Amino acid sequence: MGDRGTAREAAPLLALRSLSKFFSDDFALRDVSLELRAGEVHVLVGQNGSGKSALMKAICGIFRRDGGDILLDGESVDFASVNEARLAGVVMQHQNAQLFDNLSVAENVFFGRVPRRQLGARTLDKYKLHEDCERLFTRLGIAISPEDLVSRLGYTQRLVVSAAQTCVAVAKAVVFDEPTAGMADPEREILFKIVREIRDRGVGIFYISHKLDEIGKIADRVTVLHGGRIAASLPDGSVGREDLIRMMTGGTCTERYPRLRVEYGPQVLSVEHLRSGSVLQDVSFTLRKGEVLGITGLMGSGRTRLANCLFGQARPSGGLVRVDGVRAEFRHPSEALRRGIALIPEDRDNNASFHNQDIVQNISVAALDRFLGSYGLDTRYMEELTDEYISSLGILPGHPSDIMRSYSGGNQQKVVVARWFMSLCKIFIMDEPTRGIDAAARIDIYNAMNDLVTKGASIILISSDIEEILGMCDRILVLAGGRIACDLPRSEATSEKILDYASA
Amino acid sequence: MFAVERINILKSYLRERGKLDVHSMSELLSVSEVTVRRDLEKLESEGFLTRMHGGAIIKGDDEAGAAPDPGPEFAKEEEDREEIARVAFLMVEDDDVLMLTNGPIAFRLARKLAGRANVTVLTNDIQVALEVAGQAGNHAVLLGGSPDPESRALFGSLAQANVQAFFVNKIFVEVDGIGEQLQLTVSSQEKAALIKEALACAEDKIVLCEASRFARNAFFRLGPLSLARKVVTNTSVPEAFKARIFAMDIQLFTSVNAFEGGD
Repeated sequence: MGDRGTAREAAPLLALRSLSKFFSDDFALRDVSLELRAGEVHVLVGQNGSGKSALMKAICGIFRRDGGDILLDGESVDFASVNEARLAGVVMQHQNAQLFDNLSVAENVFFGRVPRRQLGARTLDKYKLHEDCERLFTRLGIAISPEDLVSRLGYTQRLVVSAAQTCVAVAKAVVFDEPTAGMADPEREILFKIVREIRDRGVGIFYISHKLDEIGKIADRVTVLHGGRIAASLPDGSVGREDLIRMMTGGTCTERYPRLRVEYGPQVLSVEHLRSGSVLQDVSFTLRKGEVLGITGLMGSGRTRLANCLFGQARPSGGLVRVDGVRAEFRHPSEALRRGIALIPEDRDNNASFHNQDIVQNISVAALDRFLGSYGLDTRYMEELTDEYISSLGILPGHPSDIMRSYSGGNQQKVVVARWFMSLCKIFIMDEPTRGIDAAARIDIYNAMNDLVTKGASIILISSDIEEILGMCDRILVLAGGRIACDLPRSEATSEKILDYASA
Repeated sequence: MFAVERINILKSYLRERGKLDVHSMSELLSVSEVTVRRDLEKLESEGFLTRMHGGAIIKGDDEAGAAPDPGPEFAKEEEDREEIARVAFLMVEDDDVLMLTNGPIAFRLARKLAGRANVTVLTNDIQVALEVAGQAGNHAVLLGGSPDPESRALFGSLAQANVQAFFVNKIFVEVDGIGEQLQLTVSSQEKAALIKEALACAEDKIVLCEASRFARNAFFRLGPLSLARKVVTNTSVPEAFKARIFAMDIQLFTSVNAFEGGD
């Protein structure tokens, strides 16, 4: 501790002075001043959308700032690209491992710094490379063979390999963005070893985390962000978990969510002890007619896997699902659809849009049997009905022959919503339906949800936006580590409670 | 079946029963609802019937064919009002004590209240009061004051003093314009004065306004939109308003009526 104490007194390695960056009326970085010293782990916490990742991206050259200054070793810097930042010694470690699939583990770890043979100037010294990598892995306790191809690795192994790169890179400052999301305890321990190793070498580390227990394990300093501003910046150990959570939630606005409440009908879905691989451990809940059930949790908590299991897109490895009291085992989404279950997926771009097809086809694709007559497809009815959906959901610009890819994210999302409306489903699973779309489209989606429940459908709303969950749901489940950490009626739920359960 | 046959069937059905709904007609004729709606639209343009939400009613015998065509603008306005009333109705629960300030949407909402039990409605709108008074199990209280023949409602100092004697758990205020700066406006000074008084005597404050009346101002200023917690309008309200109202922490309900499933 002694030598690290002196590191704290030294001049900052990286200093942000009144940094600002405007994104939208809803989201901006405002007047952020922050320092990072050499040899310290500075943990950033805050809710989704509080500006943690945006701030780090502004440091690493992904965004240019609008105002303020960034000083590296006392010199003002303004990186135009990630590469420029890396050459200056500021390295960003992304949430998703960015690796070369067709190279070996060792080649990835030492990429750009591979040892060369003395003779034959351009040849790679594979022997030394593997030996160096083996030595590094042994020290860190990583049980992966350096010679394996990266394409053979599983998801968490890739995260570990990607993190190990930082031990080799020459950097002054490293930014980790939620590095342990999706990791189990053994991998987390490895990651902490990596962080401690580079810290002890004198590297300054920004560490974004959602898991508050990590603060006690590695943090020298903690900064809480809320609404694009710094809510507090404190040395580790000076603040309790409850105070942190209170600072993270600030004053949340849950009053602006339009929500119509209806009387519930009978139970339409029951899930008992559902398991899937290592992601879902034990999930049980029920859903009633007319209910909006909120499910939230951190990245890697199993939210999306749960949605995929209910929609027949992933296979559960155990447990029981009942739809209207009848056992349901879906092998394919079409079977779920036949039982009235729809999924609006998280990744709209890759999983839900036919980019080059027109709006009629995008909306009607899941409901074609409604238009099937004895003479084939009744295309006129199809077009007219599509037109009704376009106007009632406020899809803009809204000409039936428009091509999907020309639409904004919000309007594409409404098209996807319209598709499941038209297929007359009864249970709508919406996975992050409003992520990345503008406020006007959000309003339309929320009102479409009202339309559903007032007409007897039920909704499972999966969202990492706690404000939205509190504003729109009747009951809230928090997932943590593939289990239900709590099941709260809206009247008892607060953002503090949810964060507390989610980060336990 | 040819369109001519279909239209004849629809006409005779209407002559017999006076009204029809689109859903059962589409089943009866084995055609899509869109087709039935289109037929109804044609008959409406001929002045034979009036389209309602989900169906149509025949025009009076003496009127049929003779009534002047009210034009598509008018039909759209009627539909918008009906849709707003539908959403507002979903906010009303049994045993509620409501205030409805005068206007065409308020009247439509009042008609729907027959679907709730033990609702008490305080209003300055004569037609609203009569409608609710005729509903079994619901109660109406009409404010006193000076009648305005055009709006068929009561205003003035007596009405304002009357309002202060009550406390309602929900108030539905029908406004005539919501301007660019989100200021609420109405068509008369007396109406503005009454609504201001009434808002002070209510817990949950809900503004009703057609989408076509956004970005427009009526003559008398009522105050900022933030006087209310909720606004009900149509889906076609301009996007800029949706974003601005959301940012102001006010609930914006739009009359999305897309889902055909359910009961």
